[in-house]
This record gives sequence, C-alpha cells and structure tokens, in this order.
Amino acid sequence: MSAATKTVSLPATLSQANGERSGQVQQFYGLFAREMIKTFRNPWVIAITLIQPFMWLAFFGGMMSQLPSAELDTFLLHAPAGTTYLSFLLPGVLATGMMAIGMFGSMSTIQDKRFGFMKRILITPTSKATVYLSKALGAAMRGLVQIPVMLVAAMAFGVKLQGSPLEWCGWILGLVFLGLGFAAFFLAITASSTDWQTPGVISNFITMPLMFASGAMFPSSIYPPWMRAIADVNPVGFSALLSRDVLTYGVFTSTDLLYLGYLALFALAMVLIGTLVASRYLKVE
Amino acid sequence: MSNNGLAISAHGLTKNYGKLVAVDHVDMTVPSGSVFGLLGPNGAGKTTIIKVLTGLSDITDGTATVAGFDVRREPMSVKQRVGWVAAEVILDDDLSGWENLWLQAQLQRLSDWKGRAEQLLAYFELTDRRKDKVGTYSTGMRKKMEIALALLHQPEVIFMDEPTIGLDPNVRRMLWDLITGVNRQFGVTVLLTSHYIEEADALCDHVAIIDRGKFVATGTPSELKARVKADYIELETSESITPGKLEAIPGVLTVRSQGNTWILRVSSAEEVLPRMFHALRTDGIRRINVEKPSLESVFIDITGKKIDQEGGEVQDYRKFYVNLRRARR
Repeated sequence: MSAATKTVSLPATLSQANGERSGQVQQFYGLFAREMIKTFRNPWVIAITLIQPFMWLAFFGGMMSQLPSAELDTFLLHAPAGTTYLSFLLPGVLATGMMAIGMFGSMSTIQDKRFGFMKRILITPTSKATVYLSKALGAAMRGLVQIPVMLVAAMAFGVKLQGSPLEWCGWILGLVFLGLGFAAFFLAITASSTDWQTPGVISNFITMPLMFASGAMFPSSIYPPWMRAIADVNPVGFSALLSRDVLTYGVFTSTDLLYLGYLALFALAMVLIGTLVASRYLKVE
Repeated sequence: MSNNGLAISAHGLTKNYGKLVAVDHVDMTVPSGSVFGLLGPNGAGKTTIIKVLTGLSDITDGTATVAGFDVRREPMSVKQRVGWVAAEVILDDDLSGWENLWLQAQLQRLSDWKGRAEQLLAYFELTDRRKDKVGTYSTGMRKKMEIALALLHQPEVIFMDEPTIGLDPNVRRMLWDLITGVNRQFGVTVLLTSHYIEEADALCDHVAIIDRGKFVATGTPSELKARVKADYIELETSESITPGKLEAIPGVLTVRSQGNTWILRVSSAEEVLPRMFHALRTDGIRRINVEKPSLESVFIDITGKKIDQEGGEVQDYRKFYVNLRRARR
C-alpha cells in the first residue's frame, strides 16, 4: 500500500515559539547542539583533538626536559623551585591547542556548504549570524575536550598542578575566550570559501608564528624585539601566562585579571567583526 | 496567507550571475493548492528560480511574492511558510531520523512539533527507523524523510527540485504517489522542477517550459500539448513505396523516410490511419507506431531541441522518437 493512499490525520495548526529573540535562541541551540552531537559521534575528531596536544607534551616536553638544568634555568628565568619544563609547557600547549580548533569550525562550515546542508539551514528563517555564532561556540567548546585529558597526562608525566577551584574557573574561562576568538576569526575569513584546503592553509600560515611568538613554548623575554612586540599583543601568550600562573605557580593576581579581560575583549571583538562579515559574506554553497 | 488565491506570483523576475543571465524576466503565477511544474533541460534556470523564490539567492530584478509575502522585503516570513526538497537528498547523516526532525523544528522555531513529527513518520512509514542514523536509510527512505522535514512546519508551499532525479522507476513511482498525496491531503502548493516529461505530465496541474532562463510556454499539460496540433505515425512496410504516395493521403502534413521506415507528421492520427490503411493495402504494412502530442514534442516545437539536449538542434525527429520509444520499453 502506498503512503498516498493512507489517511493519517495531522493537526490543523502548529504553534510557533513566540517572539523573535526566543526564536533565534532556539535556532542557535539547535545548531550548537548539532555541532556537539556530531563532534562526540566522530571518534576520529575526538582522538585527534586529544592526541595532538598529548604528543606535544610527550615529544617536545620530553626532549626539552633532558636539557642540562642550567640551560633550563636560563630558559625558565629562575622560576620557583620544582618547576619542570613540562609544567611550564602544559599551559602553553593548552593555549595553542585552543588556537588550532578554529580551523575545525571552518572545516565544519565548508562541509555544510559542500554537502548542501547550509542550504537546508538557510532555507529556514535562520539568519547567517545565528549559523556563524553556533559554529564559533561549537568549535570553542570542542577545544575544551582536550583539557581534562591534558591535565591527566601532565600529572602522569610528574607535573604537580596548582591553583584553587575558583582560579581554575578563571583560566578555563580564558581558554574559552581564546578558543571563541580564534574560531570566530577563522570562520570570518573563510565565510565565503567552499574549498577544503582553505582552513588548513590559513591555519598553517597563522598558527606557527602565533604559537612561537606567544610565550607558550619559551619565555618571551628571550625573544628578539620584533617577536616580543608580537607576543605583547598575542592573545595566545596572555592565555598561556594566565594558565601558567594558575596551574604552574598557583597564583592569580590582578595582572591575571587583566589577561582575562584582554582575552574577553579579543573574543568579543572577533565575534562582533565575524558576525558582521558572516551576515554579509557567508555563502550558501 | 495567500495572495488572491495565488501561492506564488512573480513579475519580471531576473537573476544574473555576473554576465550570465540565469533567469530572464520571468512572469509566473501559481494558484494555491496546485502542483506547478518547471520543465526544462539542465542549466535552463529551474533551480535558480527556486533559489530566488525561497530567498536563498538575491533577486537581481523584478518582484516575487510567495505565500503572500514579498521575497525581497520579507524573506524570513517567506521561509517560515515554505518547505524544500532538494535534488540531491540533503540530511545530516550523523543524526537519526528523529534528530533530523528535532533540528528542523528548532530551525523553524516550533514549540509544539512532536505529535506532528510522529504522525509524519507514521505517514511515511518511518516510525520503526526513527532512532537509526539516516545515513543507514535506503534511497527511498531518505527521500521520504526529506519530504517529512519539508512538511513539519506545515508550509503553504513546497519547492521540490528534481525530486526523482537518479531514482529507479519503482522509487520514482512511489514518490509520485507521495507528491500527489501531499498535495491533496495536506493542501500544500507544490512547485517542482523536472526534466522528465512524463513526470511533469503525470503530476502537474500547470507547467511552464523554461529554456535559457525564459519561460517559452505555460499552461496545463493538455493546453500545451494541444499547441502542437499534430500526431506522429511511424510506419514500416515490406514493399518499397514512394513519398508521394504517403503525401497524397489527406491529413498527412510532412513525410520523412529512413530505409523502409517512414515518419509521418499528421493532423490527426485517428483520421489519417483509416485512409492510410486503404492507400497502403497492397504494400505490406509491417509495423505502425503512433505518438500523440507530449510535452517533449511541445518543447521541440518551441525550442527546436530535445529537453535533455542542451543547445543542440534536433535534426532528425525520427531518431528522437525511436529513442523515446526505446526508453519507454
């Protein structure tokens, strides 16, 4: 029996959410939840997100830990006793990891364009700004997945974690701001792209210089002046410094509040600029 | 909300991509509750018309109203009232059928949708697979799910872009039944694009034939076919005959030959056939095939080319009809 020959009664009317704002929140929630569901159902995404920073700790941190202590002391600039290079590196790896997750947000958007799903979204009364914001926050949240695994791995390597629960909330919030800012940035500059290669190329172009000119791997005091100038405004560096103060040194000073404020401003600026760009240039296909 | 009984109206609708004119000053009206077909070859502008009418693409020039709302000034109001079925099935394969419906409900800002979703799943016989990822569905099930998504928010108009392209005949027939059922039972206006002649003929109340961005003919399938004012008779004889003998039969308009096969363009096959039998009674008629006017012959009459032949001229009507007959076997 074909479906058309059946008589299934349907309700005469369907109610809709009241008010434009509640509608946009509902659309945002739907798209954000989709990003989360797709992330956690893809074992490869989870595996790579988790393994990549872990490899940084194991390979780079392991190698650097073997340097003579005098050399490390020079590098670490007379850090408190008991500070190992791994404990110095951990906050930097977490910060650079959050920078890289912006690329995944861009790739998710390009995938939706290439497989036509962006058309399915935008043929509903959903604005491009809502799509953009859901992708940006989804990417930032995905970056947080690496945190617990990184902390466990670091402890397994002998790192002693410092800081109170409140201070931890502060540095995690800083990481969220950093991830949101970079995800917003990546999504904005790839808004009109449908090429799979674009996010990777841009990521390679941006990630490496920002990672090294940040203080994430080495103290910025050893940099040449031009690199230090970049590090002085680089949000990756501010996130690394904030994380290092809390996790490695167990302090949270007024300077750290400034770091947090800077990261919040960075995220806000990127999201505002990105929303404007996406509203105009986000391509349907 | 309808506009004087019209689900869709457009005047001077134009869409340019750079220097390419994809839709060229199209005027169209689609009555509410009808099935309207855009028939034309690939690249004629059918999908572009759907994109501009649904607000996916900006209109370059002209005006369009869908479900009573101006597409340019009130695109979000239009989007609340239209559904869409893509040529290529577009679902999120990582989500289950129910999750796809849930996402569609969020995007359409529905607060009370679960009952309707369950009824749609029952209607399309998908209830048992609701928790499975749609990536595991068969082609026909995926198409059904896509139509269910399009119907969830109770749209006034559904746009179906080549709904049966690439499907095997059984699934295509099932979808024809579904499209007809959706139109009749739910009262939804359907605008579909197709380059399948028989699909437009079977489903549509009104058809617009489109070529190179322009409407070249509009009307009901019967009206369009009446424009051709000719039938075709394909004739094969055992004895050789002269064209003059065929041309002398009253009602025969033109005669073409290839070997022992003749293609006769006649005013009416019913009137000409008795005369032809009488005139050729000693010539050993081996085979006769009659082709009544179809939307394909309308398209050829108007554009001089087959509907699936982009840009090329039709030089041989016989070859076309032989191919058409083979395709129908």
